[in-house]
Amino acid sequence: MESDSDISTSFDVATDQNPNTNPPETTEEQLQTLTVDETYGVADLNETSNQRGMDEAENGSVVAEVDGRPEPQIEELLAGGPPTISAVSEAVEEVLDLSSAGDTLRDDFELEADPPLSPSSSGYAGERGSSITTSASGIEEVDGDEIDEIDEAMAPLDGSGDASSDSVPWIPGKKHVDEDDASISWRKRKKHFFVLSHSGKPIYSRYGDEYKLAGFSATLQAIISFVENGGDHVKFVRAGKHQVVFLVKGPIYLVCISCTEEPYEALRGQLDLIYGQTILILTKSVNRCFEKNPKFDMTPLLGGTDAVYSSLIHSFSWNPATFLHAYTCLPLAYPTRQAAGAILQDVAESGVLFAILMCKHKVVSLVGAQKASLHPDDMLLLSNFIVSCESFRTSESFSPICLPRYNPMAFLYAYVHYLDVDTYLVLLTTSSDAFYHLKDCRIRIEMVLLKSNVLSEVQRSMLDGGLRVEDLPPLDPSPRSGFLSLHLGQERLVTESQERLKEAYLGIGGPAGLWHFIYRSIFLDQYVSSEFSPPINSSSQQKRLCRAYQKLYASMHDRGIGPHKTQFRRDENYVLLCWMTQDFELYAAFDPLADKALAIETCNRVCQWVRDVENEIFLLGASPFSWYGCCLWCCKEWRWC
Amino acid sequence: MGLASTTTGSEGIQFCIFDLKRGQEEGQELDKILFFFPTDLPFSTQLSVIGLSEGLITFTRIFSPEAACEVIEAERHSHVFYQAEPDIWMVMVVEKNKEAEAIWRIGALQQVLKEVHSLFMMFHGSIRALLEKEPGGGLARSHLYFFVMDYLTDFLSGKKLQLPSFRDCLKERGTVQMLTVGREAAIEVQSLVRVVESACAGNAACSSLVLFQDLLVSTTLSPDDTVNLFAYAILRLTPLALSSGSSSWSYLRKGSPASLITTGFIPGNSVSVTEPTYTSRDTSPGRQGQRYHVPRPLQRDKWSKGKDGFLVLETSGAEVGGLNSSTPTVWLRQTDERMYLCVFQQKNLTIILLIPVSSMINGEQGISMVKRQILENASLKILKVDEKLSRGWGGENAYHVRGYRYLLFDGDRNVSRASPPGKVTTLSKDSLLSLNRLREEVDLEKNRARHDDPSHEKDLEVCIRAKNNAWVIARVTRGKELYMVLEKANETLLYASDAVEKFSNRYCNGAFSLD
Repeated sequence: MESDSDISTSFDVATDQNPNTNPPETTEEQLQTLTVDETYGVADLNETSNQRGMDEAENGSVVAEVDGRPEPQIEELLAGGPPTISAVSEAVEEVLDLSSAGDTLRDDFELEADPPLSPSSSGYAGERGSSITTSASGIEEVDGDEIDEIDEAMAPLDGSGDASSDSVPWIPGKKHVDEDDASISWRKRKKHFFVLSHSGKPIYSRYGDEYKLAGFSATLQAIISFVENGGDHVKFVRAGKHQVVFLVKGPIYLVCISCTEEPYEALRGQLDLIYGQTILILTKSVNRCFEKNPKFDMTPLLGGTDAVYSSLIHSFSWNPATFLHAYTCLPLAYPTRQAAGAILQDVAESGVLFAILMCKHKVVSLVGAQKASLHPDDMLLLSNFIVSCESFRTSESFSPICLPRYNPMAFLYAYVHYLDVDTYLVLLTTSSDAFYHLKDCRIRIEMVLLKSNVLSEVQRSMLDGGLRVEDLPPLDPSPRSGFLSLHLGQERLVTESQERLKEAYLGIGGPAGLWHFIYRSIFLDQYVSSEFSPPINSSSQQKRLCRAYQKLYASMHDRGIGPHKTQFRRDENYVLLCWMTQDFELYAAFDPLADKALAIETCNRVCQWVRDVENEIFLLGASPFSWYGCCLWCCKEWRWC
Repeated sequence: MGLASTTTGSEGIQFCIFDLKRGQEEGQELDKILFFFPTDLPFSTQLSVIGLSEGLITFTRIFSPEAACEVIEAERHSHVFYQAEPDIWMVMVVEKNKEAEAIWRIGALQQVLKEVHSLFMMFHGSIRALLEKEPGGGLARSHLYFFVMDYLTDFLSGKKLQLPSFRDCLKERGTVQMLTVGREAAIEVQSLVRVVESACAGNAACSSLVLFQDLLVSTTLSPDDTVNLFAYAILRLTPLALSSGSSSWSYLRKGSPASLITTGFIPGNSVSVTEPTYTSRDTSPGRQGQRYHVPRPLQRDKWSKGKDGFLVLETSGAEVGGLNSSTPTVWLRQTDERMYLCVFQQKNLTIILLIPVSSMINGEQGISMVKRQILENASLKILKVDEKLSRGWGGENAYHVRGYRYLLFDGDRNVSRASPPGKVTTLSKDSLLSLNRLREEVDLEKNRARHDDPSHEKDLEVCIRAKNNAWVIARVTRGKELYMVLEKANETLLYASDAVEKFSNRYCNGAFSLD
């Protein structure tokens, strides 16, 4: 799974070319990338497209095709047995057959992730930051190397210390491939992720080369099965600051070794998402390969997907969706989103299962066919998959994907097309031959979006950003007369005093030391988070805050005794407030010296503000429950009690 | 005669002590095991528990060489680790069971392991030293067997071992509970201590502890040694501990008269019997016990009050390893010195006097002299102090604060104070579970802060309104910790904070106040 191997072929089909038109050619091309890695003696199938392409070649033809080339001898490192390429391809075929992907055609996965994917990262700040300043664009840490994180964490909150790390954009893809478990540097990485098979074969490792980690992987497997043999299931092991978290999903084992502060529940949730991402690429029918052959090597099936995993893992440290199980929308004027929704709805009625218009990780609009609903985790995994695969950007694509929460056993087909740099349309269907139809749909949608100025509004919203704590309006006890717009330029009502207040808060967050908040609407499955403002402006501070929220979330949602109703938490870094009701959850971060009473009052203001602008920040009516009728107006008692 | 069936209480709990230096060759693995409870578990099962533990100790060292493995959390069991001495590990495996209320806090279970080891060291010295003394391991095994079994007896509740669960979340093991005394009484106590300690002949450095009922009044020992001796006193020496059967209100005793080892097991005054079948790997400590004549300072009902007011430990002849004396000795960490343990009791007062063994050339005779001196010089003072303290003593609910259920804990001095257990039981299960969970979170944060920078003291405030509307509160500041449940404060966060503030100002000298 080394993404930076010497061979990197991309199979992007020219924009207007139907991927179906010329399958044999594609297959042949794809097969050429099937190489034998001499170093490890393992077939290095470095493109997902290879496997999928192979599927096209009729049974056994893979071997025939390869015949003309130097005889490739593949040795399985772990199994010791010498399966031939045909064995591998059989397995590959099987997966795809089982998953009814038999007739899929192509993919646009690209091996080499072309860095950098303009990082969308920081929630809101990223969008603003990428165009205005290079500093706030949600980067994890200097090229993802978590060794230095300890120092970061100890650094004072002034933000000056991390300036250098902020200017280096995060680059997707695997790092430190040269390491293995014998390397000191590898051992010191702050957060490892491993995926392995139940026979101990490595499938994925965040750092280091999977094949060199075979021994280590076998150890992990031994720990898991030792406990399983005793009739139990290991959840985690703790030693000092380190936590080893285990997750068993049938024949696939996932392990995280971390010395970050994240609680067990959060790390387990992350493993769950990594598993989901794997299912999104392969479907759960991959299990049957293991049933047939316990020593089945899954690595080739995931070849070239390093960028997908690394991007997902990166998102654990900036994207609240990874622990909130909710999605977020791009702020837009209500009529604009309505217009987008209307055309998507139109299309959905013509046999499209889901039509999603997204901008980076934010939803512009989303429509599902009758009764079909999309789980926020599926949206997260889908958008991560699309955003992290560079090839989606360069051409329209039709790709089999599986939505693990929707149906883990079957592939859907995703038509993906970028409408501009950040905005893309995803049309999901169950039919493998809907490419032309979806292409037509896309053309229609694109036309309407252009005509109704939705796309320019989207770009404008990206520039403007979302809610800013500095703009928090004062609590107004009287019934609101007008309608406070959050940011949409010309509509903004800014009084002189508000402007002055804003200046006063510059660099210290909003009123009462409010630094940041997240508001999650339970019925909508959506959340809105404020832009990161100073002093939460460096990526390490954003990451720390994200982890503090995770901890708060885990504490509030304790499985045994939760959910709690309210939590106030003050430590050296923050005052955190969490307030949960039947309708929403509010997470707010304040200056650690913030006054309790003022902080509470500020939370009330935030809630009121969010309600005032809900038309713009949420996608209403997408959920089976209409939040509008049911809880917004009848719930009078929404203050802290 | 014979080993009492130790299956009592075995369900759900395993406890083992092993030495990673031993049994490294294949086939010799049993040699690692120094203690295993339940004793009747097949060796293969014992080895499997130890194998997993050893595996994970090695594995976690890859990433965390500086901090040892602390816990394996599985769906049905928790494995709690404590590295007692270099390469000597204690592991407790507890079964989780929601119905049986078997919900644990890892930190509390670790405290149990730590306590049993500290007490063991106090009487027998380090496990390593015993292993070096007799490399076969029989000596260490038999000492551990009796000591740990006697210790575990205190957790027997009916036929089951009842380890500290979430219901004990307002208690802190390994701490001392103090009696608050007025200035005048304090002066009296001080002068009593002076008189008692001067009873030791010559210039020997004696130390003492004075307890009123189950509360500490005065100590001249180091904090570590104080904690150990205090724990021992509560378990076996105070008036409440002596009146066997009556249950103590201290967290340390459950007051169950049963024992994990039948009392008649070691025949009094018997001569050492060497079992012909004995091998160095024989882990059946029953036979070894007979072979080694192990003193059992934690055996129940062996202490009794003599006519002169001094407590006597019923011994079985040639006991007390190597020392020709019936007065037990303890080893002090601070001074690395063996001391005679001399206990005097009158009414509510228990006075523990520790006399360096090295200063007593003529052993028992010298001790008798000291005892006589105390009786002559201190009797009156003791009466007076007892009277004074009794007058100011508010009974077992003395430290109850209405409306609050709390635990106050000073980590620097190892002192804690808590709501009386009788009051804590009025809390709902949900409140206790919430606090238990919160304590677990705080433990993690504290450990983390300690690993990051040992000199940095964690500062933390958490107020949670639980599902049942109770406020569950934790405050950590400058080494002090306060945990609290407010069930009746059905009001706002500000109200709850205010309640903490008031408590802090009134009972903690404002340690947790914000200003």
